[in-house]
Amino acid sequence: MSDIVDIINGKGRFIDDISFPDMVHIAFVRSNYSRAKILHVNGGYLAKDFPYFMASAGEGATDEEMSLRAPVLASTYAAYLGEPIAVVTGKNRYEAEDNLEGVEVDYDPLNPILDPEEAINSDPVIPGVRSNVISDRFVGRPFSITDADLVLEDRLENRRVATNPIETRGVVAAYDGSKLTVWTPTQSAHSVRDGICESMNLPKESVRVIQTDTGGAFGLKGGVYPEYIVASTLAMKLKRPVKWIETRREHLMASRPGRGVVGRMKIYAMKTGLIRGISGDIIVDAGAYGGASWSSGWIAYQVTGPYAIKEAYFHARSVMTNKVDQGPYRGAGRPEASFLMERMIDLLCDETGIDALDLRLLNSAKDRFKSPTGMEIEPSAGFISRAFEKMGYRQLARTDRPGISAFVLIPAVADGESCRIRVKNGRISVWLGGVTHGQRHDLWVKSLLSEKLGIDPSIVTLELGDTDMLREGVGTWGSRSAIVGANALLKVAAKIMESVRKKTGSYSGKNLLAGDYDEYEYANEKGSLISFGANLALADSDDLGNVKIRTMKAYYDVGKALAPQVVISQIRGGAVQGAGQVLSENLEYDRDGQLMAATLSDSGVLNSVQAPDIEAFYEENPSRFPHGAKGLGESPTIGVPTALVRAIERSAGIRIRKTPVTPENIVSAKLGKTE
Amino acid sequence: MKKVKVELKLNGKQFKTEVEARTLLVDLVRELADQTATHIGCDTSNCGACTVLLDGRPVKSCTVLAAQAGGRDVKTLEGLSEDPLMKKLKDQFLDKHGLQCGFCTSGMLISSYSLLRKKQKPDELEIRESLSGNICRCTGYGGIVDAIKSVQPGIEKERVAPAPEIQRN
Repeated sequence: MSDIVDIINGKGRFIDDISFPDMVHIAFVRSNYSRAKILHVNGGYLAKDFPYFMASAGEGATDEEMSLRAPVLASTYAAYLGEPIAVVTGKNRYEAEDNLEGVEVDYDPLNPILDPEEAINSDPVIPGVRSNVISDRFVGRPFSITDADLVLEDRLENRRVATNPIETRGVVAAYDGSKLTVWTPTQSAHSVRDGICESMNLPKESVRVIQTDTGGAFGLKGGVYPEYIVASTLAMKLKRPVKWIETRREHLMASRPGRGVVGRMKIYAMKTGLIRGISGDIIVDAGAYGGASWSSGWIAYQVTGPYAIKEAYFHARSVMTNKVDQGPYRGAGRPEASFLMERMIDLLCDETGIDALDLRLLNSAKDRFKSPTGMEIEPSAGFISRAFEKMGYRQLARTDRPGISAFVLIPAVADGESCRIRVKNGRISVWLGGVTHGQRHDLWVKSLLSEKLGIDPSIVTLELGDTDMLREGVGTWGSRSAIVGANALLKVAAKIMESVRKKTGSYSGKNLLAGDYDEYEYANEKGSLISFGANLALADSDDLGNVKIRTMKAYYDVGKALAPQVVISQIRGGAVQGAGQVLSENLEYDRDGQLMAATLSDSGVLNSVQAPDIEAFYEENPSRFPHGAKGLGESPTIGVPTALVRAIERSAGIRIRKTPVTPENIVSAKLGKTE
Repeated sequence: MKKVKVELKLNGKQFKTEVEARTLLVDLVRELADQTATHIGCDTSNCGACTVLLDGRPVKSCTVLAAQAGGRDVKTLEGLSEDPLMKKLKDQFLDKHGLQCGFCTSGMLISSYSLLRKKQKPDELEIRESLSGNICRCTGYGGIVDAIKSVQPGIEKERVAPAPEIQRN
């Protein structure tokens, strides 16, 4: 990322700012239907020009992931609205869009299958598969509890949410006869490179991916997309640079959204409030090619959160539907899991009349606890007590109707991260696999290096992602970079200090800057790391179902705040995304499979008048890493929705089962209508 | 496609060009004049990342034709780089974390600048209402609102006088 001062002066270099004189612009003909046979296509570049399948790359991608191999362009069958079918070129964006008119597509529309629960037993959403269930797992341990005082059941749901960074996706690809260079805004230059290489069967040395300044990502920009393969292929074919910039409408149709989960949950409890067990059927709306099919199992794994619930068993399925593939969105399974747990706890509060905090404390872990799904947590009782004391819950509960939540944050530390530090001409350059795109990694890079190496932080530059400057790398997602990125940074700094000692006899900042050094390390990480968080909200609703948020508070264990102001800034931003998911964010299709959202506002992103602010507190219990940090970025998107939903529920006097909570939902519930 | 001649004042300097009649002001600014502080986030005048000043008033340049700006005065963030009020605003945006990824920031700064030119000490609701056409996905707006609140009014004259014209070469 360019220096923050360059960014504020308008001198950032975002993807649409990358330009070459002979550049070709491309535009996509996309399916007008959610499900259709394509009878005939004429004009433009077509599927046969891109004889590849999409590789799975980026956040959560594993060899075991079961997603289907999606084609780059659809040829005989369109499986979702917005699926690319043909590509046209132009000397600028206007001309490329004009040329879309020259492509003819004949469709035979079919009835789209949009509901994941229906899709479990329906005919296949795409030809050639036997079942739409792409991932089917049982998570936890079967149990039988026959003597519970209460058995409560409910169906809960988070609708799909668009990631909606203000800078959409985009790519520029150029080919010099031997090397393909791809510029793109991304969370991981290495994932994009590996995805392109795997899809197009190119050796890694022949592709260079360079991160441009990245105008927000939120999970969207972690992997590789069909449009990137198209731009790369055409750059090689035409021997001219090729540019594609996504429109907002394309983003809403054809970029991977997050959430999209249904849970049919059941808890077994005693009148005292003790939860004996929890079970559920968790169904994720994975989309046409089963994207991020790991997410259903991942949600199930962490449902029990900070609570010591002895029995847990879930049937976790990811189901294909005639929609664009689901992908990670800030939180990526964590908010969904917490929603399923916290909604059931609140239901138990209502059934037993027990106070929301008392019930959570009763079920919290008093000692280290390993859940039936294998999730290990530290004792949570102390944290929950401190959090709600700091947020003033007891006083508020006497006179008002606060909604509260408690949760775990499991950062994606697995696989560690890479780092390179180069010292040259008295300046220090740093590359991290987990690139920055607004999280200000530069601040902790500078402060940690300044402290460790005894140098002036102003000589340190954190560079943008570039696969030619850093051999391997993972990426920025899952609240991981300050943990594993900083860990790798400190390891490489130690290597550099050792080199200085060898060369000059002793280490000093002066000796360091007098020479040239260049060190790299991939610091692998096997263990996990879990931290706790808690939220509180107060809201009012009127007879028309309009909601007014009065107060939001957060209390998170961040391990160590490497850059305290950034901690607060991350919490404020994430809280508005969490509130947006509750109040309005949604990607709804009508029965015919047409998307009801065409703009940012339609898709429910909050503006400055609608957005609430949050009072943020944090505590520091250092992690095992030398820098002490734990995860943070996703905490507000986990804790805010659950606390806020409860506050709205209490204010309106209804049971809320689904996000978003629209005025219509509230009024219908008040009138006793079922949805 | 019919071409039209457009001559306008861009960031204090006369700018002459010939464009297709359908060309949007934002594309003139970004592609023809290479002033890339102004961004495109939605094409539907929803996000405000493309906000510029047209005769001193904030407009979304993705919904103004370049031809409509003919004979008028257009200012983008680049043209306000020496403006004292804009400098103060930028300092406060940096200090209060009024930006993360920075993609909406130019538009936010132009809208905030317009607000502060009209009113020296707006209250929170006035700030939020005046920014409601600029969408930020990162900050949650809190840092932006804090930044605008923190701008200390300067000498009265500095505020009411039009921003000084900066000659670019």
